[in-house]
Amino acid sequence: MTNILEVDAIHTFIGQFHILEGVSLAVPAGSITALLGRNGAGKTTTLRSIIGLNAPRSGRIAFEGSDIHGKTAYAIASLGIGYVPEYRAIFRALTVEENLRIAERSKKDLARRSDLIFGLFPDLKRFYKLPGGQLSGGQQQMLAIARALVPENRLLLIDEPSEGLAPILIESIVDALRQLSAHATILLVEQNFRMASILADRYYILDDGQSVHAGQMADLVQNRELISRYLGAGYAAAVAAPESPAVMPTAQQGA
Amino acid sequence: MVAYLRRNTALLVTLGIVLAILLWMTNRYEPKVTASIILSGLTLGALYFLVASGLSLIFGLMDVLNFAHGMLFMMGAYLGFTAYANPRLLLNTLPLVLALLGGAQVGRWLGGMLPDKLKKPWLDTALHLALFVLSVAVILFAVRGFNVQPLVANSATAAGGAISTADAQEAASLYIPRLLWLTLAGVLLGLGLSRVGPVATRRHTRWTGALIGVGLVAVAIAIVPLRTPAETFLLSVSSNIRFVLALLVGLVAGGALGALMESALIRPLYSRPLYQILLTLGVSFVGTELIKTIWGTAGFYMDIPAFAAASGEGCPSPNLWSWFSDHCASIDVLGRPFPSYRIFIIGLGLVIFIAVALLLQRSRIGIIIRAGVQDSEMVQALGINVRRVFTLVFALGSALAAVGGVAAAPFLGVNLGLGAEVQLQGFIAVVIGGMGSYIGAAVGALLVGMARAFGDQLVLSGIQLPWMDEAIRMSPSIARASTVLIMALVLLVRPAGLFGKKE
Repeated sequence: MTNILEVDAIHTFIGQFHILEGVSLAVPAGSITALLGRNGAGKTTTLRSIIGLNAPRSGRIAFEGSDIHGKTAYAIASLGIGYVPEYRAIFRALTVEENLRIAERSKKDLARRSDLIFGLFPDLKRFYKLPGGQLSGGQQQMLAIARALVPENRLLLIDEPSEGLAPILIESIVDALRQLSAHATILLVEQNFRMASILADRYYILDDGQSVHAGQMADLVQNRELISRYLGAGYAAAVAAPESPAVMPTAQQGA
Repeated sequence: MVAYLRRNTALLVTLGIVLAILLWMTNRYEPKVTASIILSGLTLGALYFLVASGLSLIFGLMDVLNFAHGMLFMMGAYLGFTAYANPRLLLNTLPLVLALLGGAQVGRWLGGMLPDKLKKPWLDTALHLALFVLSVAVILFAVRGFNVQPLVANSATAAGGAISTADAQEAASLYIPRLLWLTLAGVLLGLGLSRVGPVATRRHTRWTGALIGVGLVAVAIAIVPLRTPAETFLLSVSSNIRFVLALLVGLVAGGALGALMESALIRPLYSRPLYQILLTLGVSFVGTELIKTIWGTAGFYMDIPAFAAASGEGCPSPNLWSWFSDHCASIDVLGRPFPSYRIFIIGLGLVIFIAVALLLQRSRIGIIIRAGVQDSEMVQALGINVRRVFTLVFALGSALAAVGGVAAAPFLGVNLGLGAEVQLQGFIAVVIGGMGSYIGAAVGALLVGMARAFGDQLVLSGIQLPWMDEAIRMSPSIARASTVLIMALVLLVRPAGLFGKKE
């Protein structure tokens, strides 16, 4: 299996703060790879470094074999990378339609992909002319994901899609992401370990700005010691109770 | 419906207050006085809108507080006045500007051909700075001894009469070398621009860019002998055509100045907001001094163009429709004549408001601008080169301000006080309306304009409440203070402005 994305020892600064101190990862094409770690471990910054919003100061990032380090964010995105930031960063003043249209890289993009998009998220069709700000939290998250699907992106960087959503909505996001993985490779940042463990094939664990562990998700689920060391005891407990709802909100797990 | 009312309480309360004041006015004054206060308010509002809309869009999209906006308005007034009353200056500087622009195109292409970046970043920055300084030096050398005074001399009196330009214009033998030096300066400037230090810009490697540059220089040289015939021709056509020309000059010059300012000066400073404010303030000083150098400190009076200047039989026009055919200087509004040029300003403001609103609502670039106002980083992450949109919006905002300056010239006059005044009122309008909101800028500008007009009337007639024997007289500065008062009130009720989004 070839790697669609390779990140090699990147160091990223935000202001004077050294956030990423050597993150390396490889994302095999066609997979869902989860990026795990505690709050502040550098997961979001890693995604932002890849898309070019926080350009790394050193290291190498290659997308489909070619070096993208040092390119501007719009140039990197145009290569075929979709970014779904945390907090459902849709454009609130724009209608659902405009939110999707703005992501077009050529005129026919939306028409070509509308079957896929509205098949996954039929709600968006219903609220096509409504301002994004008036959608519910779950619908906004769907819109944010749908926006990344308008051009034929081969890699999706998805940051905490379950954040602040009710369990029932998380289920539908999980469904959507699973169907999506047939169309694009996904690099997923997720605090909700149950959700990540259901979806992902592989994982990377970040700690203090460094990638410290990687492997198959199936192995990680067995390894309670590793989970509680890097992700917290709450996660281990969540894994230990397989009969619990698949997608408990993270806030309850942390206790 | 209830939810809508609750969401917009502050807005509705404000509208209520405005309505109450209007009602009080209709009660207190005769209808014809009320009508002319409202029309005066709309006139000022239209002008303030042209300034405030650009300020608001630029702030919303780029977080840049442009303190040079008033200067651009004033520059528009001076350039428009010059194109209208005495095109000689513009005709004699147009080839110079074209040569500089053409050179810059060639320079950018040359820069695109150079290796990417130098090994050491400081060397790159030093080279970039050196190119800028060198090009400024060459520009100064190129224009040494260029005598603008006779070119500026107000030739409005010469309109239609014999024009002698022999003493004003330089002979081609002196003029062509200037063009060539400026081309060189443009090349250096373009080289510098193509390597703007910390910001990675698109490389201009396409030879068409260089070809356009060479073409511009060729055009510049070709039109040198046409300076005198063009001037004679322009002064022989009707003032309406020259006025349209003046508006176009304002539009193009304002847009070009804005684009240049954004790409050369502001772009390297997006990560340093405080520096930006100092920079735009500095640009406004430089621009004002430049105006003083070229046009002197005296100020000018610009004639109202013929379409709103007729007098005599049948004037004032009984209504707007008959004004379209008789072009009287004033129109009868409920028995009181009102200057028809001011009606034109209201119309111009309305047309521009609708045009820009359509641009923002309907076009792809408009969607990008509205999205960028909320989150320009996300727009970029979608694969859109948002920097180019920044330049465009800066150019658009500057063009609107400059057009406003041209339109204001026959009404407010052409003088050095223009910039600071509209800058202040524009800012107040933007703060009232909510930073970054286009509709907010329009509403804020209208409120400010109305407050000015209403304040002026209060100063004239004084305040007489029912229990008073005699009206209280007020100082004229109350009219200016009233706009600040409104701003303070709005900020108390709604800190983000009427249409501002709470962060």
